[in-house]
Amino acid sequence: MAFPSLSPTARAFEPGDWPVRTYEALSGAEVRIRYGNKRTGAKLSLSYDNITDTQAQEFLTHYIDTQGTFIAFNVPAAIRTGWTGASNAFDPGSTGALYRYAQAPQVTAVRPGVSTVQVELVGVV
Amino acid sequence: MSKIFTGRDGSLLLSGQALAKVSNWTLQGELETLETTTLGDSQRTYTPGIQGFNGSASLLYYKSDAGVNDAGTLLRKIIKTDGVSTSDIVSLTLRLSDGATTNDVTINAYITSVSIGATVGDVSRAEISFQVTGAPTTVTI
Repeated sequence: MAFPSLSPTARAFEPGDWPVRTYEALSGAEVRIRYGNKRTGAKLSLSYDNITDTQAQEFLTHYIDTQGTFIAFNVPAAIRTGWTGASNAFDPGSTGALYRYAQAPQVTAVRPGVSTVQVELVGVV
Repeated sequence: MSKIFTGRDGSLLLSGQALAKVSNWTLQGELETLETTTLGDSQRTYTPGIQGFNGSASLLYYKSDAGVNDAGTLLRKIIKTDGVSTSDIVSLTLRLSDGATTNDVTINAYITSVSIGATVGDVSRAEISFQVTGAPTTVTI
């Protein structure tokens, strides 16, 4: 099963960074060494407020299908709903990077048949 | 035939029996709405949440020839020595009559507040408020 193709209520994105180690001399001068050429560690937080329990179940099913935080995956275009910038703005990293779950989705019951889901994803190479 | 309902057409029943000397009743209904607006929407959308009902009534503190005091019956649902329990739920029917035709809302409710007093030159009146529990059992209003 693919990541649910639902429009989120809210979205927060951090693009991550390249693997850089920073050294600071006693003089205050900074030396940075890049150990790789791929951006990783992008963070994508999505919330889906007041969706049906059936829709919330899709996230739980996908989390199980990806064996929790183990298997990485692509996310659908629906997560970009409302974004008028470039379609690759929320890519998880450099070419070849994918998202995986940073933690289990949080499903909160709102009322019978209605739930709110919070998803945290992290980009990995 | 058209009809404008007035206070003369109103009545309040407790467990199916009309209460004496009711001067007014009110019923309020509310619906909680849950927002389902998503990114990209230009207008807000909602899905229904939980309903709730509450109301009030005003009765004269009156004892009938048979010794029945309807206001006292409702007052004792909250003014009591041993606390309120689920056995204090009352079945109220709020009615507007049109001859033999009745327009009812029947609800189960807790009496949540009462106010009663005695004033020189005035009748004693009991003001009660109630909170409906569960869905209305009859709606023909």
